[in-house]
Amino acid sequence: MEEINVVYNVHHEIPLGVLLANYFYMTGLSAGSFILSTLAYGFGIKKYKPIGKVGVVLATLLLVLAPLNLLIDMTLPWRFWHLFVYLNPTSPITWGSFLLIIYPLNCIIYGYFMFKGDEKKTKVFGLIGIPLALSVHGYTGFILALAKRGLINTALMPTLFLVSAMVSGIALMILVVIVKDRFFSAKREVDRELIFDLGKILAWSIVTDLVLIFSDVSVLLTSEAAAYEAAQLILRGSFAPYFLGVEIFLGSLVPLFLLFFPKTRRTLTGVAIASALVMIGIFVMRYVMVIGGQSIPQS
Amino acid sequence: MSKVRYAMVIDLRRCIGCHSCSVACKSENSVPLGVYRTWVKQVEKGRYPQVSKHFLPTLCNNCENPICLQNCPTKATYRRDDGIIMVDEHRCIGCKYCIYSCPYDVRYVNPLKRYVQKCYWCFHRVDAGLEPACVDTCPARARIFGDINDPNSEVARLIATNPVQVLKPEKATIPQVYYIGADFQTMKARGLGHEGEGWKR
Repeated sequence: MEEINVVYNVHHEIPLGVLLANYFYMTGLSAGSFILSTLAYGFGIKKYKPIGKVGVVLATLLLVLAPLNLLIDMTLPWRFWHLFVYLNPTSPITWGSFLLIIYPLNCIIYGYFMFKGDEKKTKVFGLIGIPLALSVHGYTGFILALAKRGLINTALMPTLFLVSAMVSGIALMILVVIVKDRFFSAKREVDRELIFDLGKILAWSIVTDLVLIFSDVSVLLTSEAAAYEAAQLILRGSFAPYFLGVEIFLGSLVPLFLLFFPKTRRTLTGVAIASALVMIGIFVMRYVMVIGGQSIPQS
Repeated sequence: MSKVRYAMVIDLRRCIGCHSCSVACKSENSVPLGVYRTWVKQVEKGRYPQVSKHFLPTLCNNCENPICLQNCPTKATYRRDDGIIMVDEHRCIGCKYCIYSCPYDVRYVNPLKRYVQKCYWCFHRVDAGLEPACVDTCPARARIFGDINDPNSEVARLIATNPVQVLKPEKATIPQVYYIGADFQTMKARGLGHEGEGWKR
């Protein structure tokens, strides 16, 4: 191996910080919760009715809070109104600035009719909300995918983000429903069948997520130099403990085992631990994508 | 072909690594401490006695297909008719997405004014009929600036008659800073330190 030594170079700070990872995480949780809530109120699957209201409250709260991450991360936050006045249709951030207004508004209307008990109007706004929820999280995938950096500049990124949003949304729902039913419901009793049912959906979403991650990483390994280097970073480099250790092992394989193994899949503890691990795993996935993607200097 | 399209040629056979360009740029454009619009990367190759030292002056490529222009959400980044990519400091919101998108790390947030800046080939000097400060100051005349669409200009002649290279052509940004005599390992080496991969440690 030839010796190459950089004697002088300029250090560049990474532009986007952990707040962006947090933002992607929160929009993902919001989109996942919203889609779960439409299972009963949009598509009329009766057994998911108890999670409908939880879902819409979570989706709205998270999506109202999520853009605060962006505002704090901006260096000139008082100019945020420029986003609505000076538009650039080719920029995913422009798409996002409108989605981040329309989607929470729709969530609030949908929730209002749900709590009022107007099933017909709830259904209408639930079905309008599905493409909005998908695009509000899908566009964040485009934010990453359209940057010219090795790890994230892949066509799979928006899809991967949507699937991981579903995974984290279901996990959050399981935890919230358990806590709500156990401590705040009239009967103080958890609807076990509902939780195990959600656990089953969670397991198959994790499988889909793992398949997508496998396709992504295997293509990174055979693509151009920057992609290959990024794959080395997450498989062997400084981000391997986060990616392989936390995201894949703790956040996907251990939960999968807990959700498929006969002795744990029908226990509340097993499903709850699996959900908590999944939530940590998906946060680390966002961290690896945002921070890991920038940790390789470009010059 | 009659339209003016500015481009820069950096003849690395002439570069002596004196950093005059970096200093001139800092002075001309009031670039604050800690950030740079142009800098000269220095790379040592090989082991004694088989060694060589390489310089690579780096600056914004003012690309023909710039990703920053595509991704700027407020059109604060715009293109002049002569191809120079500008940042409107009154419109920039500091979302830093352009810095994130750029494959060359040539943009920065001004630590005092908080908006994004980058090299714009000293458009104020070019409009006044002068050359950019780095070109003007280079004692070895390693940097040459001019209209690539004018076949009689020095840049057009140098590009036509020499083997030239650009940084990261695979990124499809169509950079407009052409290097003569560039070494691919020097171009590839990044960060600081051994193997040019100090970031791994």
